[in-house]
Amino acid sequence: MGNWVNLLPVFCFLMFMLGVSFYIQYASRKERSTNFARDYFIGGYSLGGFVLAMTTVATYSSVSTFVGGPGMAWLVGYGWLYMAIVQVVVVFLVLGVFGKKISMISRKINAITVIDVIRSRYQSDFLANMSALFIVLFFCGTMVAQFVGAAKLFEAVTGFSYLTGLTLFGLIVVFYTTVGGFKGVAVTDAICAIAMLVGLGILFTSMLNAGGGYDKIMEYISTNHHDMLEPLSQGKMPVSLYISQWLLVGICTLALPQSVVRGISFKDTKALHKAMLIGTITIGAMTLVATWIGVLSKGILMEDLTAYGNSVDNITPLTIVKTMGPLWAGITIIGPIAATVSTVSSLLLSSSSSIIKDVYMREMEKRNVEVSNDKIKNLSMLATVVLGLIVYVVAIAPPSVIWQINMFAFGGLETAFFWVMLFGLFWPRANRTGAIMAMLGGVVCYCACMALKIKVLDLHQIVIGIGVSLVLFLIGTYMGKGTDEKVLRVFFPERYSD
Amino acid sequence: MKRSEKFVQANREAKATWIALALVILFWYAAGFGLENSALEFFHTPIWVLGGCIGTWLFSILVCWVLIKFVFMDFDLEDGEDK
Repeated sequence: MGNWVNLLPVFCFLMFMLGVSFYIQYASRKERSTNFARDYFIGGYSLGGFVLAMTTVATYSSVSTFVGGPGMAWLVGYGWLYMAIVQVVVVFLVLGVFGKKISMISRKINAITVIDVIRSRYQSDFLANMSALFIVLFFCGTMVAQFVGAAKLFEAVTGFSYLTGLTLFGLIVVFYTTVGGFKGVAVTDAICAIAMLVGLGILFTSMLNAGGGYDKIMEYISTNHHDMLEPLSQGKMPVSLYISQWLLVGICTLALPQSVVRGISFKDTKALHKAMLIGTITIGAMTLVATWIGVLSKGILMEDLTAYGNSVDNITPLTIVKTMGPLWAGITIIGPIAATVSTVSSLLLSSSSSIIKDVYMREMEKRNVEVSNDKIKNLSMLATVVLGLIVYVVAIAPPSVIWQINMFAFGGLETAFFWVMLFGLFWPRANRTGAIMAMLGGVVCYCACMALKIKVLDLHQIVIGIGVSLVLFLIGTYMGKGTDEKVLRVFFPERYSD
Repeated sequence: MKRSEKFVQANREAKATWIALALVILFWYAAGFGLENSALEFFHTPIWVLGGCIGTWLFSILVCWVLIKFVFMDFDLEDGEDK
């Protein structure tokens, strides 16, 4: 049994999140009574710069920022840090490339999801439904993996059981997401991002103290583990890995739907500009400190990996437990829990918006069935809570297929949406045939190559996914019919003005 | 600004963002791998770590600042034609 002092800070933090979400529900009751879906799924285009920056960063940084990354850095050294820092581009890239265009288009066509934009651009329900399927499937896999990672960490640090931790933050995040909607998710994300920074700060300080200061730890590393000071880490960090990471966690993140939807949500151009700067500062600082902690923990955890349960995932919890008392450990663990819940909340809401807004409401619209605002409200909240509970239950005893889905998820989403979004917004010629072929063919190819471990030049399969998707898009576009000019006038007014 | 002019501006900004990305990649390469063989170190930390990691972070912030200061423009996102 664990120590209650360990549990209390996390519990208070999560209760605070719940309170914030209830407050936001109360504050936006007016907007919700007129157009529920618009407020619930996108926050009525109202995010300011700071919240936009923080929610983009918090959604992106997950439990692996705290566990997997630092663990690998402990093993490999500064090469891992040098590779992790490529993530510094993700915020300004998605907001700078897509932000303004997609927000102007969304306002014009009343879009509240990424899929709304895709449907409207390519005039295809098939493409929209396929997008919804990929989003729900890959997001659910990711959410389960997030829960499992955080619950394991929780167990290792606090001594409470896996199920206790999972139930504590799993249920609370599901409920606060259901209550707060997009605005609730955005504001709680901002608080989570701050909690992550605080947690990292505490851990960094306590680790330096325990190791006798930065200089002493570095002296130890340079005498005993010189490979950790080389970018290629004597073969442990091949050049192909650097290139793969630039694509997988750098450039191709551009099209991740959970990031792109944030480009729809902001209030005005000032908010966007501010978010690009604040977001870049924050994500860089977070990545640097988290991964640096991993490298330096070599000076505290000096034995072989076998002494630490043969898994790099044990490095972070051991560092926490070894360097601080239960109360501080309890406060520090808010960081990784915050990273988890902020990712899960965004994915959960995106998934339920795909089901309700993109599939259900569209179907009713096609059948000319009027759905009342109250009914949309009930169904949206029901979808969010049910989906969340399913994810929670699956995480209690995750089947192995979940790991497959999770492993495919990141690259799968990138493959599915990269060219569809990029060409959709910047290339008038791009059409439905190309988009459908690119999304379907790319994802199938990517997943097959992942499953069969087929690689080109030792690069990650994302290269195959993106490459195949591009070729199919071009073939489809030149074979298929062009897009209706009425649509093009909305998406490319600079070329098709009246 | 007319709606069409806003889109011309948004396209320019997107292009500038791609250029910014390219600059960050070049900086990352030059300040990391480019300094790999330098024996210079601070607090036992090789210079390529400081350049490639902290340097890339600071350089990205600088690039962002230049983007929003000199390239990105403020305009109304609503469809206010001919405003």
